[in-house]
Parts: sequence; C-alpha cells; structure tokens
Amino acid sequence: MDEKYYAGFMTSKPDWMKGLKFIRRRILAFTTDFVFLAYTWTIFSFIVNMLAYQTKSFVILPWWVMLIATVEIAGLWESFGISVGMRLLGVQVSGGEEKPMLRLGRRFLRFILWNISGIPLFGLIFATDQGKRALHDRLSGLSVVKAEPATSRRRYTESWALASFGIVLSTIIAAALFTKVDMRAFFTGAPKTGRIWAALLTPDWSVFLKGFRYLITTIFTACLATAFAIVFAAPLSFLAARNLTHGIIGRIVYTIVRATMSIIRSIEPIIWGIIFIVWVKVGAFPGVLALFVHSVADLTKLYSERLESIDPGPVEAIRATGARTAHVILYGIVPQIINPYLSFTIYRWDINVRMATVIGLIGVPVIGQLLYQYTQLYKFHMVGMMMLLILATVWSLDYLSARLRARLK
Amino acid sequence: MEPLLVVEHLTKIYQRGEILALDDVSFTVNRGEFLVLIGLSGSGKSTLLRCINRLIEPTSGRIIFDGIDVTKASPRELRLIRRRMAMIFQNFNLVRRSLVMTNVLAGRLGYANPWLSALQKFPRSDIEMAMANLKRVGIPEQAYKRADELSGGQQQRVGIARALMQKPDLLMADEPVSALDPATSNSVMQYIELMNKEDGVTVITSLHFLSLARRYGTRILALKDGKIVFEGLPAEIDEAKFKEIYGEEAEEVEIR
Ligand SMILES: Nc1ncnc2c1ncn2[C@@H]1O[C@H](COP(=O)(O)OP(=O)(O)O)[C@@H](O)[C@H]1O
Ligand SMILES: [Mg+2]
Repeated sequence: MDEKYYAGFMTSKPDWMKGLKFIRRRILAFTTDFVFLAYTWTIFSFIVNMLAYQTKSFVILPWWVMLIATVEIAGLWESFGISVGMRLLGVQVSGGEEKPMLRLGRRFLRFILWNISGIPLFGLIFATDQGKRALHDRLSGLSVVKAEPATSRRRYTESWALASFGIVLSTIIAAALFTKVDMRAFFTGAPKTGRIWAALLTPDWSVFLKGFRYLITTIFTACLATAFAIVFAAPLSFLAARNLTHGIIGRIVYTIVRATMSIIRSIEPIIWGIIFIVWVKVGAFPGVLALFVHSVADLTKLYSERLESIDPGPVEAIRATGARTAHVILYGIVPQIINPYLSFTIYRWDINVRMATVIGLIGVPVIGQLLYQYTQLYKFHMVGMMMLLILATVWSLDYLSARLRARLK
Repeated sequence: MEPLLVVEHLTKIYQRGEILALDDVSFTVNRGEFLVLIGLSGSGKSTLLRCINRLIEPTSGRIIFDGIDVTKASPRELRLIRRRMAMIFQNFNLVRRSLVMTNVLAGRLGYANPWLSALQKFPRSDIEMAMANLKRVGIPEQAYKRADELSGGQQQRVGIARALMQKPDLLMADEPVSALDPATSNSVMQYIELMNKEDGVTVITSLHFLSLARRYGTRILALKDGKIVFEGLPAEIDEAKFKEIYGEEAEEVEIR
C-alpha cells in the first residue's frame, strides 16, 4: 500500500494556469484582429494611392497614426461587435443572459477601461478573477463568453462577415492593380499567337528521336527517384507517426522527423535541383537527387498520416500473443498499410515524371530542357514536337496511374 | 495448489485526463476457474485485463502469473508470459485484410522461428494445427477467405482459433460477445466454455450481461469506478447487490 499513489495525483490545475489559457485565447483574438485591420489599412492605402496618385505606395498616414488607429479600432470592434478574431476563436462579449449583444453604455465603458487595463496587459494577466474575467470586463459588468450560435442577429454582430467579405474584395482589387491586369491586351492580342499555334500543330518530326531520348531520361529520372524514395520514406514514416512514437525520445524523434520533412517539402524540387547541380555537377543525376529528396519528404508525410489512422486493434491482438516487435509490425501493421503505400507511391511517381519535365529549366537533360531551348530560339515547330511528346506521356501516365490505383482500392 | 494468477494492489492512473481507472484491486484466480468480470462501462474491466498482460502498463501493484512476477518481467520474459495468456477482444481485432489462416497462424508468433515467420512461412505442423483449430470452431471452409468477408460471429471464432494456437494456460476475453446478437453470443460463449472444460484453460472474461455471467461463470468479480465491489458465486448476486453494482435505475435484462 505504500507505493499506491504519488502525492496529489488527482489535483486539478491551479487558477493561474487556467488564467494563462484564457489570456492566450484573448491575446490571440486581439492579434488576429490587429493583423486583419493592419492588412486592410495597407491594402486600402495602396488602392487609394494607386487610383488617386498612380503611385505604388502602401502608406497614406504616418505609421504611428496607423498603428494607434489599428489598435483602437480593434478595441472598439471587440467591444461592440463580434470581430473576426473573436469569431475565429468562438468567443463574444456578453452583457448577460437577456441582452447579450446590447448594453451599449457598458460596452463603451469597457472600451475605455480596456485602453487603461487591457493594452498594458495589466487587466488581463494580473487582475482576472480565477481566470474568468479580465479587469475591464469585470468593472464594466460584461463578460467574454463562448459564442452562442445566432444570438440576436444584428448588423454589428455580423460585422466579421462583412469585414471578411471586404478584405477579400479589396485584396482582389489590389492584386489586379499590382499585376497590371490589362483586359484590352487580353482581348486584342490573340491574333499575334497564330503563328505559334500553327507551328505547334505542325510539329517538326526531325527532332522526334532526340526528344524521345530525352523523354526516356525524364522517365528514368522519375523512376529512380521514386524507387530510392520508397526505401527511405517507408522506415521514416514509422518515426513520423504520432501513434507509434512513445515516450520522450519517441516524441523528440517524431518532432525532428516531421519538422525536417516539412522543411524539405516546402523547398521546391527546382531549388533542390540547383543545389544538387552545384553539389554533383550538371547532368541527369542532380535531377534524380532533387526529385528523390522532395519525394522522401512528401512520401514520409503521406505514409505516416496513413499509419496514424490504422486500426490499433489487430496490433494490440498480435502483441498479446507474445510476438516480437518486428512481427507485430509485419503482421499487425503492414497488411493495413501496404495498399495505401503502393497507391501513394504511384501517385508520387506520376508527380515525379511531371516534375522531371520541369527541372529541364535548370539544365538537367530532360525533355523540359529541349522545350526551353527551342522556345528561346523561337523554333516553334520543334517546340510543338516536344509538347506532343510530353502530352502523350502525361496522358498515358494519368491513365496508367488511375488504373493501378483503382486496383489497390 | 498455488493459484494461477495473483493480482495485488493493482492501480492504474491514466495520465491523460488523470483518470483513476483501477483503484487498489486485489484478487486471485485458481487454475480451471471461469471468472467473470462485470460492471458498468467505464468501470475498468478492459483496463484490468490489459494490465494483466501489460498491454497497458500498471501504475503500481503486482501481478503474479504462475509464480512469475509479470510486473517485473523484462521484454523477453514478458513475451514468454504473453504467449501463455491468450486474449480475445470485443471487436475481434483481426487483421481485416489478411486471410483467416494468416490471422490464426499469428497466434503462433510467440513460438515461431523469427526468420521464417518474417517471410510468412510457418512449419507444416503449425498449419495443420491452425486447420484443426478452425475445424474445432466450425469454420474450416473459411480458412482462405479474407477476414473481413466473415460475419461477426465467425470473426470471433477466428479470434478463438487464434487464441487456441497459443496453447494458453489463461484466456482473457474482453466482452467477447458484446458486438454479437444473442444467438451468436451463446455459440461463441460455448466455444469459450469448451476451452475451459476440455483443455483446462483458466478463463477471465468480462461480460456485459449478468445473465450470461450467471450461466457461464464459476465466480464473479464486480468492478465499480475501478474498485472491486463484489466477489463471489453467481448465485450470491441478489437484487440489492445488483443495484449496488449497476446503479439504482438498472433493470436486469435476460438474454438467452
Ligand atoms: N487510454 C485511455 N486514456 C485515458 N483514459 C482511459 C483510457 N482508456 C480508458 N480510460 C478511462 O478509464 C476508465 C476505465 O475504462 P475501461 O477500462 O475501458 O472500462 P470498461 O472496460 O469497464 O468499460 C474509464 O473512465 C475510461 O474513460
Ligand atoms: Mg471495455
């Protein structure tokens, strides 16, 4: 009986920890609103500058005026309505049971008090009552509660929706101004491309063999990269699956593998290509390496997500028979993942062939390189030949990969 | 004769949610017994069974199986212990995509040559034994079907065949018939009873229905909130005891 419980094993979390959680939510909501409003300001300024003065500038007021205005508008918004940040975090300021959204006087008081206690974080961190209400809420007789669905639908409670719509619209306008969308050119310039279309439709067969050779390299590059990637990604995926990594060491390994893979994945194959060209000299090999590295990261993610959704039941059952870990994996896990793994691999191989085409841009001798060179030389009949080859490959690949994967369902 | 299983002051606290799932549980199981665990869902039955073969690590307490301290066993020793304690599950826990035969043979993994079985190769004797066990549970013709093509009752019988492959001293069953209809339930329970009577396998099973517990159990252990609230013969559970275990509102339902 002496080793029964460790001391205080059932105590609940202390108040300040609850308070911290509550503060995190509030600060997050405010930060969201701040970023949202600051962005709106910037875009708005840009549109005004562009339309009124034809200058590309993001400022119309001194930066400190914008800063203060943004903070104050965010405060007003949170006090009187349901802001975007509040909506995202599912909270609202409530004036009690009967009139949750009214009490304008109290709301105004809250806004004033918020400036005094909220901005310096004083009211949030030091003066909450058991992590429930911040000082400015308490003094103004309001509270921040979990948002109730559809309490008294009023314009100002729907302001978040209006604002979101506004931000999307102004982003589109700003983007159009920024990229100089020129509708006139779009509609009148089409005839100039006639020569290219004609050339593309009458491909120059004299470069067929050359193109075909490059195509073979392209496909081999993709195959090799995929094959190597499986060998690395399959074991790595076990380290990147949350449900299979236990304990402190497991967790550290999991985090490292996951983080590394997502960094690698976020670097485009073409960038990897440049790195490997420097590393191992120009040729097809850096292309293989670039696709390989990217595929390992991508497949590890896909595989491990699949691993995380396996049925733990059979694994448990096989463990209970006294099987070794290797056998538990082989008999309990592998049958559950083998088909999805193959399916992901085919999918990735398909992507790799397409990407292998693209990395020709940086000098890897794949069909994309010819495409690029002939375009530079304005030899559009040859470009047409290359496109024909690429189209044929992509189509047959699509068909093949869809067929294979349907088989694995 | 010394008891097959001794559980002393077993306590399990799940760190996640800080739940006290087992609270100082002690009991003994003699050889040849058919012990039934009852209790509301959440009372800790599954946790107790999984602590015995350490699928779940107990927080404290001791478990002695046939004189060996399970709680102190090294990974290797634990495997040797586990192969003597078979287990069947509420959801059958078969590898659904594998063949019935493969599922049954998995029961031999604790004994198998690690290299051969890594190649999915089993000795002829094991395959014959698997076939014999499938015959015993009445589904030899299903051997080369995929496990998920079978009905629930058939799947649980595969589970029993897998357990038989271990030639266990102890069978632990976690609500083996909760996912089955009454008629199928009884046939599955009869196979478990057969293991107990013919092969002399000691059985610990949790059951949802008291009527089944009365019918098959030689002794009953009732859990409530992780504590033992009753231990005795099936006949000793009267109205008052029943209410204590299952709560005031509960009514006893009969299933046959
Ligand atoms: N993996 C787990 N993590 C946290 N709590 C758990 C876990 N498994 C079970 N519990 C909790 O432990 C208690 C006992 O559960 P369980 O042993 O499954 O009971 P029973 O099998 O009698 O229904 C329940 O309160 C349950 O919620
Ligand atoms: Mg259970």
